Amino acid sequence: MKVSKRVATLATMGVVGLGVAAASSSANTVHGTAAASSLKGQTINVAIAYPAPKAMLAKFTAQTGIKVNWDYVQWDNLQTKIASAAEAHSYFADVADVDWSKVGEYYATKWFLPLQSYFPIASVKSAYPQATSFIRDNELVGMPMDGSLLVTTVNEKDFKAAGIKSNPTTLTQYESDLKAVQAKGIVKSPLDIPFAAAEGLSTYWYEMTAAFGGQVLSSTYAPEFTSPSSPGYKAMAWMVAAYKSGLVPKANLEDQDYQALEADQAHNLTASVFSDYSGDVGTIYNVASESKVVGDVDYIPTPGASGVGYNLGNPDGIGIPTEAKHVPAAVAFIKWMEEPANQGAFAGADGPKDVIQTFPLPSNRGGLADLVKSGKVPGAATLESLLENHARAIFPAGAPPWYSQFSNAVYTNIHAAAAGSETVAAAIKSIASTVKGLDN
Amino acid sequence: MSALRRRAERAKTGRSQAIRRGRGETALPYAMVAPLLVFIGALALYPTVLTAYGAFVHNDALDPPNHFTGFGNFQSVFSNSQVRQSFENTGLYVVFGVLLSVGLGIFFGLLLQRRFRGRGIVLALMVLPWALPGVVEGVIWSWIYDPTFGVLNSTLKSAHVISTYQLWVGTHQIESIFFISLVQVWQITPLAAILVLASLQAIPSELYEAANVDGATTWQQIKRITLPLIRPGLAIAVVEGLVMSLNIFDQVYVLNAGATTASSLMSETYQIAFGNLNFGQGYALSLLATVTTIALSLLAVKLIYRRVEF
Amino acid sequence: MKRSRYGWLRVVGIGVLLLWSLFPVYWALNTSLMTNAQAQSSPPSFFPTHFVFSNYEAIFGFGPSSASTAGGIGRALLNSSVESLGATVLTLVLATIGAYAFARLRFRFQGFLFYVVIATLTLPVYATLIPIYTILTKLGLVNTYLGIILVYTSGFLPLAMWIMYNMFQALPASIEEAASIDGATTLQIFRRIVLPIVRPGMAAAAIITFLFGWGQFIFPLVLGSTNSTEPLTVALSALSGRHVVPYTMINAAAIVAIAVPAVIVFFLNRYIVDGIVAGSVK
Repeated sequence: MKVSKRVATLATMGVVGLGVAAASSSANTVHGTAAASSLKGQTINVAIAYPAPKAMLAKFTAQTGIKVNWDYVQWDNLQTKIASAAEAHSYFADVADVDWSKVGEYYATKWFLPLQSYFPIASVKSAYPQATSFIRDNELVGMPMDGSLLVTTVNEKDFKAAGIKSNPTTLTQYESDLKAVQAKGIVKSPLDIPFAAAEGLSTYWYEMTAAFGGQVLSSTYAPEFTSPSSPGYKAMAWMVAAYKSGLVPKANLEDQDYQALEADQAHNLTASVFSDYSGDVGTIYNVASESKVVGDVDYIPTPGASGVGYNLGNPDGIGIPTEAKHVPAAVAFIKWMEEPANQGAFAGADGPKDVIQTFPLPSNRGGLADLVKSGKVPGAATLESLLENHARAIFPAGAPPWYSQFSNAVYTNIHAAAAGSETVAAAIKSIASTVKGLDN
Repeated sequence: MSALRRRAERAKTGRSQAIRRGRGETALPYAMVAPLLVFIGALALYPTVLTAYGAFVHNDALDPPNHFTGFGNFQSVFSNSQVRQSFENTGLYVVFGVLLSVGLGIFFGLLLQRRFRGRGIVLALMVLPWALPGVVEGVIWSWIYDPTFGVLNSTLKSAHVISTYQLWVGTHQIESIFFISLVQVWQITPLAAILVLASLQAIPSELYEAANVDGATTWQQIKRITLPLIRPGLAIAVVEGLVMSLNIFDQVYVLNAGATTASSLMSETYQIAFGNLNFGQGYALSLLATVTTIALSLLAVKLIYRRVEF
Repeated sequence: MKRSRYGWLRVVGIGVLLLWSLFPVYWALNTSLMTNAQAQSSPPSFFPTHFVFSNYEAIFGFGPSSASTAGGIGRALLNSSVESLGATVLTLVLATIGAYAFARLRFRFQGFLFYVVIATLTLPVYATLIPIYTILTKLGLVNTYLGIILVYTSGFLPLAMWIMYNMFQALPASIEEAASIDGATTLQIFRRIVLPIVRPGMAAAAIITFLFGWGQFIFPLVLGSTNSTEPLTVALSALSGRHVVPYTMINAAAIVAIAVPAVIVFFLNRYIVDGIVAGSVK
């Protein structure tokens, strides 16, 4: 019969497809031997928004006997999984991502186990430059997993071609330099801001606000951006004006941060990212297969309203969900992740084989020192000095529990202001009223 | 041949076709439907009941504990301007989705009405977009719409339709919704076309022959014979388009990011539940969507029952 | 004849139809066979000037540029296949048996139960996401193939049942009546006489169910807490949400997700059309 022949063809295709798939996925499991301990033979599930450093994980398993099933989950998808698992009181992973922005939320919801009994707060504070982002009321919600801050990058070649002799140190100078690059026709729209309604736009505004010498929310989470003379207001007006005047590529209204960095800066469609991610020079701009600007882009101290501005921290953390099944093994794993030598290796101190792709900087001072000493990562010394001397938390009292709603209001309104569907004043007013509705 | 006529006949004979059963087989029908009912009961009806209940419970992960709140969740979502915007946007998704998919469906159906060489292949190729995952469609269209490297921009510019590259999604509400909707229309048009085609093939050819004898033009034939007689198929196509566009999510998730410009009821529900962690309000919005969808479907059932009589 | 006068119009119309239906898929295929630099040239090339398979190598985890950014598409392809096929088999068995009882047998509450099943066709799936997650948690089935297959099955059953119901209704009752008079039991009639006749109908229901399973996104995203059950749709959305994954590679992954439905549509289109027609008269 015709039907059965066709169905048979289909079934054969399915089997062939399955065969191919099975062959390519067999390399994932990590086997280890040795190390006599009670944790030996346990398997922990780790859900993190970074790709796995496979060679390093094999060493961990060899040392401890703990097998690691490391799932690299895209950041937004991961947040959905954490929330739905917690709402259903369900086990989902032994170790998961604790983003700086989620610390307030997890402190309020108790979705993650406090870690201070395993990692004493005093020693965490002294060893980790960005520790405060993860501590709330003497509770350690997560351990800092990387060191990360918002930094300014410029394409030095473009700036030189425009006749700019030294890097800008103030915002006024920065703006006039960008205009010079534009006027000389070196880059049509030199400034990269990702204006899509997404998290990257919110953090850009926080960094811009810091450069103008202020912060968006006070230590009691009151809006500090409502007055037209406030840094937050000025920062937003500056960003929107930069877009409308053509300093920022028109297409950026749809660009999320990764797209903007990838498509624009790496292809020299722009010459500067004011609020870039620490690590992008090494992991994107200097990678020949991804970039047309290898060797041209450098980190510079962020230009501020008067002199060098602050760099806000946006570190990723790592924690243990309340429903975790293998807590001691999870603690052993986090301790291993935090070893300074390993942190240095993840960031590139031991060469490409142990690197976690897109990993910005080591989380602790030991790892940072290793990385700088190795000399293998461009700009590492600059970044370390920025981290130690110019870094600040985005919120002085830590991320509020309602951060997600706040950020949603921020990015939708700035996006709308850039698109021209509302004024900057209206955007400010709308964000402020969202805060008012949340903070009670 | 004529699928609709066959069904019309079937509707008349209906239950009388039930066959006799031997003795000792009283339990058989129950055994045959039980597995089906267990599945639907446990994983479709029971969760719906839980959602309906959850809509009336305050359930905010950031503000525990949970407690009964009556219509509190509904009041909150209705007073939320982003939600109200998503209602308006969803209305636009429905208008674009239904008009475009049904319009194109009629056009494609008429094209394929008469037999010609290769019609089978054309039909298969036409069905392709319907068979693809919504997320995949979002991804491939977002590359077509890309403001810097997209083929839509470069093609229109070289044809001098536009003078500079456009942002198809993200700037203006109606434009953004139109272009996101277009991706869904691409997916559901084959469905409308097939339904129209089935109705077309049910029309007796004598009608056209008689019209030809009377000297009616092609356009007159379409207006006087074709369109009135494919109304049953059209009604179903309208309902399918309506239900799909009312619940649009995958395409919005991929193409719109978090902007309110083109948010839909479902993307807003997702944001409220998984972004704001207010599951109670998420349930309330889900219940609203459910009730709206069922109401529209019932309306459709009524429409169809009246029209199948032709 | 009018037909010939409007012949050119039909040709143009068919051209528009084909362009509209195929261009987006062609464009993804074209992009997937280019290097990133070619794909970002302006104006874009409508044909790959020289074929490059590195994007496919990368997403399947072979070749130099794969590293850890991509890879994993092979596993996702396996997951999509297992979940869609599993749900198809289960759905088809349950729907066919149930539909036969509804179409041909008589029992108490028949009308009510039938209406209940059909009514679930109208439930928007997103409404039940979290409750279903909670139920699967209690059953210990989160992050398992079985859990996802069960959920898909519950979602696709009403439509498959409805398609099969219409197929059974379209059969002349006379054959079954004759067999019944000859002393065959209901089950014998069902297995030996009815099932072989409705095989094309079952093919239609199976294909449509499979395609629905293949296209699922939000349920597998939430119900699979790790990558071990992640289907192509989720893997693709994750890929497009990562920086340093070029569009050429994303389009290659999209083509992988398109390939299976495309082959089905091309070879089994007749059943899809039958199934859509049988399944849409509510």
